[in-house]
Amino acid sequence: MEVSTSNSRGIHLPGMEIAKASKNRYEVMIGPAHPGSGHMRIFVEVDGDIMVKVDPDIGFVHRTMEKLAEGRDWIQNIPLFERIAILDACNITLPYVRAVEKLLGIEAPERARYLRTLLCEINRVASHLYGMGIFGVFLGHSTLYMWGFGDREVFIDLAERLTGARLTHTYPVFGGVRRDIPDDFPEDARKATRYMRKRLNEYAKIFLNNPNIRSRLENVGVLTKNQAAELGLVGPNIRASGIKYDVRLNEPYEAYGDVDFEIPVFEEGDSLARAWARVEEIRQSLNIIDQVVTWLERNPRENFMHEKFWKTAPKLYKDVYEGKISYSPKYRIKLMPIFASLKVPPGKSFARVEAGRGEIVYYVESDGKNLPYRVRVVSPSFRNVIAFKYVMPGHRLMDLPAIYGSFDYFPPAFDR
Amino acid sequence: MNPCYYACYIVYKVIVYDIIFYPPVYQFLIIPGLITAIIVAIFILWFERKAAAYVQMRYGPWEIAPRIGGAIQLLADLTRYAMQEIITPQTVDTLQYLLAPIVMVVLALLPLEAVPLTSVKPYFPIPSGYSLLVAVAFATLSPLFITMMGWASNNKFSITGSVRESFMITSYELISVLGLLTAAAMTRSYDLVKIVNLQMSGKWLGLINPIALFVVFIAVLMSTSGFPFEIPESESELVAGPFTEYSGLLYGLNMGGAYIRRWVFSILITLVFLGGWAPYRPTPGVITGYFIPSLIVSLKAVVIMGIMSFLRSVYGRYRLDQALGIAWEILIPLALLAFGIGLAEAYFGII
Repeated sequence: MEVSTSNSRGIHLPGMEIAKASKNRYEVMIGPAHPGSGHMRIFVEVDGDIMVKVDPDIGFVHRTMEKLAEGRDWIQNIPLFERIAILDACNITLPYVRAVEKLLGIEAPERARYLRTLLCEINRVASHLYGMGIFGVFLGHSTLYMWGFGDREVFIDLAERLTGARLTHTYPVFGGVRRDIPDDFPEDARKATRYMRKRLNEYAKIFLNNPNIRSRLENVGVLTKNQAAELGLVGPNIRASGIKYDVRLNEPYEAYGDVDFEIPVFEEGDSLARAWARVEEIRQSLNIIDQVVTWLERNPRENFMHEKFWKTAPKLYKDVYEGKISYSPKYRIKLMPIFASLKVPPGKSFARVEAGRGEIVYYVESDGKNLPYRVRVVSPSFRNVIAFKYVMPGHRLMDLPAIYGSFDYFPPAFDR
Repeated sequence: MNPCYYACYIVYKVIVYDIIFYPPVYQFLIIPGLITAIIVAIFILWFERKAAAYVQMRYGPWEIAPRIGGAIQLLADLTRYAMQEIITPQTVDTLQYLLAPIVMVVLALLPLEAVPLTSVKPYFPIPSGYSLLVAVAFATLSPLFITMMGWASNNKFSITGSVRESFMITSYELISVLGLLTAAAMTRSYDLVKIVNLQMSGKWLGLINPIALFVVFIAVLMSTSGFPFEIPESESELVAGPFTEYSGLLYGLNMGGAYIRRWVFSILITLVFLGGWAPYRPTPGVITGYFIPSLIVSLKAVVIMGIMSFLRSVYGRYRLDQALGIAWEILIPLALLAFGIGLAEAYFGII
């Protein structure tokens, strides 16, 4: 139904107007180009100030990743899938690598597993800090935004020291990782974790225990245990609702079986609990980073790549790594040539890991060629986005950002 | 006497005494009017951004003038706003859309025409008998035009923002009016000169009745959409609230409008609660009787503005219903309490 508006020229921009849905109900479209919605649209039906119906409409940044993957070499798909959630690149590509490794019938050597765990946790901290920063902006708390993004830089630098790239690391590759840690990395990592532990207390002071923020978040967007299980949510969101589900715990991969960590679980299920879950998870990640770094220091620097691939490496590459030639910046890190023409044996495989926002699942099918036959991705944001539909109704329109931010959504991740 | 010299003297006298220091012109345009308001806005916005930057571990404004810490950043912003094209979208109601920001800024400055800034009679802009009442009445006019802006913009963000604005205004204007008029109950007068003169002995009304000062402080913060009550313009939800469709100079006026309103209220708070030009005693003469007291009032008001802007880095934004709840459930009872305390103090002769 067209609602007459007060404009004299008879021009209408439907998306920019508030349309009448039924008696006393109006439809407001939030997004897709909106400072508070990210790249998605939410249809909201409001009755006064109360949201009655909320419908997230995803697909605005859909990039046909799964189809693109069918036209690229196996190794080329890793940088492609990083673009799903670029700030969590290692976690997002790791299950693809693991699934292909299953098809190849190889397993990464122990040192590579620890190195992967290290980058995963660095990514997780950076990703959570990013989410917290955005959450701060939603609540008009610019300090948290600046702190989150500023402190994230510490971990991005750490990742850069480890991999050579700030965000698009392409670090885990089939059979191992691209390179080993630099010699002075453990010191840097310990410094970063020490700093971050101190900062987390300050975060709690200015944000999570701030009475003004607490009144915005407490008992807002409550997701009960049953509801969370029924909707099939994942990640910190479900752990904030009292369900102890974490792939790192339920199905340990890489080095998670060997390191010591806890899964923080909260019972309240409201926005505040979801924010706390992230803070506590950062704390656990810092512990894991410390442990992994210690392990890497104590164990000899060898075998970060599976023997099958390592033996095809150029001689110079091997010599530099074995210390026969001292390293110089003119030696560019290159991948083993075998990856360019890698053919994966036919079969189907499946792998999952716990990314920053929750469980990410890859299903990979090969028909024995140098391209994948099918890659299916189920990203954590895709599984979490449905919660908006059930959590938001009944709240006020101004609660939308508070709930939205607390789920740490990432539109490019659910659109793929 | 040389006739040429005499003519120059006449012209000088006319310009200085009859134009610059003619109270309506002086107060509306110079101190504490438009020019001072712009200078204060430049300083306060810089201070606000620098203070926030300090808390947030960054530099804040810097590049524009590194030696003075980027203090003239707002000047550059204003220049940009002035140079930008003023876009009038096809979906708006043109007349109201263009008129509303201008009227709002003019009306926002209007209360300054009603407040006396000295106790010397020739320098009153209007007879000071009911100056407090008139100033408060004028101060409530300009928010109407913010609502009008949102309506004329014909945009979901603008309308939502202006509805929120009107909610906030209806609650908080009442509180600030009630709080400011507490002074009238305490001093048995609407005369700002009398109110200030009573505070000359150091018994500032803000010290005698701190609850009233607190209530007015919060109410002003809320009604001029400052943090943590920046609800109508909440950037992450409503782009820029009622001002979403505006561009160029009109947007600059809108942004400045809130600061001017806060500035005017700060002047009122200074006069009513913080002793106005006390401890200075104006004497006849344009400099000692008018310029210096108006400067003292302005300086005190700048301090209030500074305290208000520091809250930005600490708090987030309240929800609309929470903010209204604070208004009706906490602040209005407090304002009534302050009024009662004021009456009691007047009755027992503490003032």
